[in-house]
Amino acid sequence: MYTLLYGFYKYMVQKDEFCVLILGLDNAGKTTFLEAAKTKLTTNYNGIHPTKITTTVGLNIGKIDIGGIRLNFWDLGGQNELQSLWDKYYEESHAIIYIVDSSDRQRIEESKEIFDKMIASESLQGIPLLVLANKQDIPECMGVREVKPIFNKNAHLIGKRDCMVMPVSALTGFLQEARKEGVDEGIRWLVDCIKRNSYLRPPRNQEDT
Amino acid sequence: MGVLFSYFKSLIGAREMRILILGLDGAGKTTILYRLQVGEVVTTIPTIGFNVEQVTYKNLKFQVWDLGGQTSIRPYWRCYYSNTDAIIYVVDSADKERMGISKDELFHMLREEELADAILVVLANKQDIPGCMSLKEVHQALGLEALKNRTFQIFKTSATKGEGLDMAMEWLANALKNRK
Repeated sequence: MYTLLYGFYKYMVQKDEFCVLILGLDNAGKTTFLEAAKTKLTTNYNGIHPTKITTTVGLNIGKIDIGGIRLNFWDLGGQNELQSLWDKYYEESHAIIYIVDSSDRQRIEESKEIFDKMIASESLQGIPLLVLANKQDIPECMGVREVKPIFNKNAHLIGKRDCMVMPVSALTGFLQEARKEGVDEGIRWLVDCIKRNSYLRPPRNQEDT
Repeated sequence: MGVLFSYFKSLIGAREMRILILGLDGAGKTTILYRLQVGEVVTTIPTIGFNVEQVTYKNLKFQVWDLGGQTSIRPYWRCYYSNTDAIIYVVDSADKERMGISKDELFHMLREEELADAILVVLANKQDIPGCMSLKEVHQALGLEALKNRTFQIFKTSATKGEGLDMAMEWLANALKNRK
């Protein structure tokens, strides 16, 4: 009887869990974005101050409950030699957030090549994709209008999956309560896509974890 | 009310953090412990049992336990697991042959429920030895990509030269402060 009630209770409060992978070149602002998102969407959470965020070599995780589901974020290191580790996570991901440093015109091509390589991967077929043009707080950075065409060049690779390019400033998202530009907007869009896509990639089974 | 609450919270925050330094024998655990504590290299002998020291870093107090890493005493690591805030796992980057054993021990340890919330720092130590494994090679050899529910970082260190430890401790201090 207890098991039955407990099982029912668990069924009622349990949220479907989905995994979101945060990728991009080193120094694009992946960890800062994750911290900004956590600060914004979790009550009583104060993120690591941006000045204290160092290069990630490993994994940062974050859990956010939003829109009736739970998102597990995986923020990986973006350095060249670590990029080959990304694909180990593809199969279990339900969405990708790809972060671009819009102020770094010299590396935008490199970022695009890595992006193409990533979306060509078979295990990511049909997975919603959010490209964030980060660092919009820096004057003379590239706006969405400039970034979008670069990443949409290979439309055939993107195919039918949901794909969206949005401007964001993870840094001001952090510092100014009033204008958290796009930090949560993008995630909300992603939540809708993940839900729509869940027939293709069902939520992670919690019993296994 | 909010002020009062945050005051109490800061009291909890001032609690001494409990950190375990683990790894195979000869990885450099004791050298790292004393490098952190006194800032210099001490001559060490293989640890049988444990060393425990209090280390203060950036206003955070750590109680650091360095446990012996020999095969025969590894089963006793688990006696120290409860209430552990973070694990510093030390790997000898020049010891390619025993990387597999190191990996097994690491995963064996992380399966313990008592360590479910502990933050993991992997130190690829002995980077001063020529021909040692790079960060990425250590990452792959340890199969760290299998860790999906835990925040972790891997750092290059050389305990004898004192390189990389500061970065690792700084990250750990921040991660512990912001843990939730």
